[in-house]
Amino acid sequence: MDAVVKKIIMEVKKGDQQAFAELVELYKDKVYQISYRMLGNVHEAQDVAQEAFLRAYTNIDSYDMNRKFSTWLFRIATNLSIDRIRKKKPDFHLDDPVGGTEDLTYYSQIAADEELPEDKVVQYEMQEWIQNEIAALPPKYRSAIILKYLEDLSLKEIAEILNMPVATVKTRIHRGREALRKRLRNS
Amino acid sequence: MACEKTKMEDLHKYLDEEMTLLEKKQFEQHLVTCGECEKHLRELRKTIALVQSTSHVEAPADFTANVMGKLPAQKKSKKYKTWMRKHPFILAAAVFMLLFVTSVSSLWSGGGSHISVQGQGNFHIDETRNVVVVPAGETIEGDLIIRNGDVEIEGEVLGNVTVINGEPYLASAGYIAGETNEINQILSWIWYETKSFFGEVVNVFNGKSEEARTNSAPFS
Repeated sequence: MDAVVKKIIMEVKKGDQQAFAELVELYKDKVYQISYRMLGNVHEAQDVAQEAFLRAYTNIDSYDMNRKFSTWLFRIATNLSIDRIRKKKPDFHLDDPVGGTEDLTYYSQIAADEELPEDKVVQYEMQEWIQNEIAALPPKYRSAIILKYLEDLSLKEIAEILNMPVATVKTRIHRGREALRKRLRNS
Repeated sequence: MACEKTKMEDLHKYLDEEMTLLEKKQFEQHLVTCGECEKHLRELRKTIALVQSTSHVEAPADFTANVMGKLPAQKKSKKYKTWMRKHPFILAAAVFMLLFVTSVSSLWSGGGSHISVQGQGNFHIDETRNVVVVPAGETIEGDLIIRNGDVEIEGEVLGNVTVINGEPYLASAGYIAGETNEINQILSWIWYETKSFFGEVVNVFNGKSEEARTNSAPFS
């Protein structure tokens, strides 16, 4: 796997643009997962994940071949996600009046939900709920939890991605776990 | 909630399997007796299981195409380099063609503008008019090749007459037994060189070698 990735990167460094498509195929789901879990929004997640790959392409010369490519790529994705969270405007509320109308709220803009089989609804709601709880974590705990439990990375890799000592990563995972426990224990 | 603050740290250490065997044994004994810590541990395990249960999301189907469409345009030189690396034979053929064309064109221009004649017999060269004259009554036994000049034939030529970069004039009394070739275009000249090259090769193989083509002397 690593040898294959290295070979592709060599091609990209030599200027073969098409070879980059193979890298995108290999890592798109993982990068998208990071940005989606960090941002909790499909459109923004897609935007940030694409941006991460574009940054990786334009900065490929600064990538050190002796290090793991995924670590470098995930670092770009995580940093971009955190930047986006910082810049994010506060979410609007469903109770807010719709601009240009008198007493319409956003509730009226939502299409009636399609009927889903009951177990699907339950599963979907469960997923939604967990996703929301992850998204409600402070970003510094959120990134550590996502990398640890959704990307299954080692503490050492997480430390490299987040550019901090392993001990700090541990603390963040512990705190993130505690925060989630308090919210999820009543399920 | 864990019974003490230190026990909470122990809980996480235990969960991450970072305890020594002794620490682990002692903590497990504590768990049996302490309901609070045991509950806390259960809740943490459940939390992790829930987080891990969120199905893995997949990037949209057109993701790769979108990224590739947004990549900055490649520098042309890089594109060529990539292309050349992928097509070594075309590159080799191109280099060969280039060498061939340059050597041929240097031959073409290498003759300079000096008139030169190849052939056996009595002829004379009029340099002021850039003309080779085969006087009346004279006979050229073999072929006659003239470069960079015209030829006036008043006598007889028993072989072929080839004029490169010039024109042949045949006087009414003149006679050419062979063919008359007039070469003024580079393409037909290349054709002529190729033909004569292969002709020589065939001659060499037939053992006739160069006997037929002696007295090759440029005149200045």
